[in-house]
Amino acid sequence: MSEESSRLADVPGLVRIENAGKEELTAHCMELTHAVYPHDQVYGQYCTIHEYVDCPPEQAYDYLRRGHHLEEWTCSLRDFAPTGTPGLWVGHDRLEDDTRIYCKVVANPEAMTVDFHCSWDQGEHLWMIYLMRVVPAQLVLDKPGSVITWTNCRHPYYDDNPHPGLAPRPDRPWVGDYWDLFYAGHTVEMRNLKAILEHRHHNGLEVGSAPARAVAQ
Amino acid sequence: MTTVSLTDVASYLPGEPVPAEFYTDFPGAEDKLRNHPMFRVPPLRHHVARDETNADMVERAVQPLIDRHGGEEIRGVDVLLVHSQLPDLPFVGAGTEVARRLGLNPEWLIDVANAGCASFVYMLKLARQILTSTDAKTALICNAQSAAGQWFTQSEVRKLAQAAIPGDGCGVGYVTTSAHSPVLDVETRHIGAYAGDMTVAVDDGRKYWEPGDSQLRIGFTDASVAKVLARGNRLVPEVVTELCRRIGVASTDIDALITNQPNRTFLRNWREALQLPAERHLHTFDAYGNLFGAAIPVTLDSAVSSRQVKDGDLLVLGGFAHAGDFAGAVAVRWHGGRD
Repeated sequence: MSEESSRLADVPGLVRIENAGKEELTAHCMELTHAVYPHDQVYGQYCTIHEYVDCPPEQAYDYLRRGHHLEEWTCSLRDFAPTGTPGLWVGHDRLEDDTRIYCKVVANPEAMTVDFHCSWDQGEHLWMIYLMRVVPAQLVLDKPGSVITWTNCRHPYYDDNPHPGLAPRPDRPWVGDYWDLFYAGHTVEMRNLKAILEHRHHNGLEVGSAPARAVAQ
Repeated sequence: MTTVSLTDVASYLPGEPVPAEFYTDFPGAEDKLRNHPMFRVPPLRHHVARDETNADMVERAVQPLIDRHGGEEIRGVDVLLVHSQLPDLPFVGAGTEVARRLGLNPEWLIDVANAGCASFVYMLKLARQILTSTDAKTALICNAQSAAGQWFTQSEVRKLAQAAIPGDGCGVGYVTTSAHSPVLDVETRHIGAYAGDMTVAVDDGRKYWEPGDSQLRIGFTDASVAKVLARGNRLVPEVVTELCRRIGVASTDIDALITNQPNRTFLRNWREALQLPAERHLHTFDAYGNLFGAAIPVTLDSAVSSRQVKDGDLLVLGGFAHAGDFAGAVAVRWHGGRD
């Protein structure tokens, strides 16, 4: 037995071809396969959505990584302006009156990942993170365009506002109250993103647009 | 349009119950899959005797109908539909032999060789069509399943995990032109794209009738078992949902759902998909195993006898066949109780 396999032998609950065998593995997977899944089981702790967009991946990535475009494709994020902190912007989340949202974009051009680190009411701890990735559709679907994935994880703060005192008023609903609607809300926004990118790409237009407020990047 | 009723059902289970150990204690038995729900062995099943034919089983299954409705009435059926697996003869179905045994003289006699595990649904549709469009008044629809005690008890096949799942039995339905226990609607689909994916498997490639030592068993072609699972998961909820839409009810309004019963995984997945509690999705898997085409009528008979299906219940029977080449569901407002 190799050192590696003996180290694995100590790990409880592993299911690998070496200990399960092909048929048992298949049967195990079949047992895990249901015809339907409750919403909570699929979207309860993580909310991942995905969409095909007929727009070249480089353009889709470039559009996504420029934070001011959030004002175009999201339902309710508007009026972003720079804060005193480089890279940190603040805008309004019009989902609720008088609610400020802080946002920093963390992008990786090689992986074409674009992560929006956000929070309501304060910009010191950006705990509400939108993980997005652009994948060349040629690689995964054998056709031109992009596949865009988008994941949110249910940070504990969604269920428990760490700074209730920062809310504009005591009865202002908390962002986490909407968690069960994230699949739907994000789907609406993803469709907006697809519509904008495809419309501009199909019509030979510039995909991006200038920020409403000129800011030194 | 003439209303057609599923007036009564009856069934017959051959022999004494055969315990799981018949398979699990057999020398060389596969045991690595026994703990998986897909292959978990039902505690009991029945096997046909070596000299017991499909016609024998149908004759015995029909007897309670004769007892309840009278020999003259049953002998007078205008339509006889028979589905049998395995066929006793490779060139003709059991229908004419059933007619001879029971003294029937039907104008319409069809040996149905398609629609497999959902053939009771399809035969009910055929019977309904004949009864509404001709002057035929009554029909007998029969499902005989005799593969378990014949194919799956062969010395090599018996070792396989799949062998312990099937069971033999026979279920019959009595269909009449009446509004007493009306068939509300039927939804059926023949899916040619999935035809031929279930085959007779022999290791030496011989034709099933050619001499040789290899033992016949059921196999799948390119469609892996995983594909069949995915199809089955989708097909049965689809046809039941469409049926419910047409009759204007929600799937959750079904009082009793009875399906074919290939394994526990399908049973779980179908009731989950239709949002029905386990007690409203009736099956006889633990006592009889996978009864193939006979599952629906046998389970219905058992459920009526045990009062799990009650007078006035919205009854839905549904299933899919083979590797997915047919799916169907039928709704009945059940008033076929035993007075």
